[in-house]
Amino acid sequence: MWQLLESLQNTLQNTGFVTWVREADTVLAYPTILAAHTFGMAFLVGLSAVIALRILGFAPGLPLAPLERFFPLIWVGFWVNAVSGVVLLSLTPADFLTNTTFYIKMLGVAGAVASVRLLRTSVFAHPASLDIKPVPMKGKILAGTALTSWAVAVVGGRLTAYSALVERSSAVAVVILTVVLVAGYKAARRLGLSIKAARQARATASTGS
Amino acid sequence: MESFVNYWLTSPVLVHYMTYYPWAWPLCEVAHFVGLILLIGAVGMFDLRLLGMAKGLPIAALRRLLPWGVFGFVLCVSSGLMFVLGLNANVPNPVYEVLMTDIWLDLKLLFIFLAGMNLLAFYQTGMSHAVEGLGPGDDAPLLAKVIAGTSLFLWLGVIYFGRLIPWAL
Repeated sequence: MWQLLESLQNTLQNTGFVTWVREADTVLAYPTILAAHTFGMAFLVGLSAVIALRILGFAPGLPLAPLERFFPLIWVGFWVNAVSGVVLLSLTPADFLTNTTFYIKMLGVAGAVASVRLLRTSVFAHPASLDIKPVPMKGKILAGTALTSWAVAVVGGRLTAYSALVERSSAVAVVILTVVLVAGYKAARRLGLSIKAARQARATASTGS
Repeated sequence: MESFVNYWLTSPVLVHYMTYYPWAWPLCEVAHFVGLILLIGAVGMFDLRLLGMAKGLPIAALRRLLPWGVFGFVLCVSSGLMFVLGLNANVPNPVYEVLMTDIWLDLKLLFIFLAGMNLLAFYQTGMSHAVEGLGPGDDAPLLAKVIAGTSLFLWLGVIYFGRLIPWAL
């Protein structure tokens, strides 16, 4: 089994195209494949993250049903990344396949893709009633899972370029920064809301009603 | 000029800390990526709607997403500044030399500037106002579509050139 995988890896690694991508001295080779992987990520993660945020309650005035039209583009992003990802993996398969973070990233991708698919087939199954009834709890859980899995996938993917020690400390730094940003956002919102409430209270008091 | 740029666009303190804490550089990279995802997610979605995709979305409601795009841009600019000011934590080249020799960085900065000009044009031509009332199914004026297409093209260009920067260092 392992021998088979190893010979597959050797074959992939030495195909003409993969060798060209690895060795050609032009930005149209490796750098462009890498950029394609970033484009795919921007559309796949960007659009699905916005849809997930909307389901979780951000921008409540935005109707959900028409967002369904973005799914085809989300899947274009997915396929661009599946193809460019296989090419990038084939360049130096041993580096990725022996890296734990790479597997964590792939688990993140799998979890996110599964949640986005399920969002499409469950929450968006009945577009007519989508903006009349509140999104069911299942939809919110799926949206939360999608966002969290994307975070794992994106951070994991970025960190595979580093050594295990740097990976670990960077992951901790990312978590801390995220907590600080979220807490800051919540605090700012609460402050904003209380200022708004105070202003409204004052306005009501001054009109004497 | 050279010493001026190297003096003002290098922060020895930042270089020191970004060298001392190996997680600092990757942390900024993660922020840069999350930022670009939010930018394309929110601004890209807005542009695509103007171009005619998912026409069921009313523009005024879609605008509520734009702060997420602005937040993404702020994440990208602040992490990007860290890369410039702390450049020597990663490569020894002086900032001035990189600005003068790295064509991809120059093109990226040019495209960011053009994206800013494009945004200014969106407001100055009255298109921002003109699309505000577009409800479900309404088509955007041609000029708004041109500006939206330009915006998408420029931001994708910014990502592309950004990815190429290391190859001209």
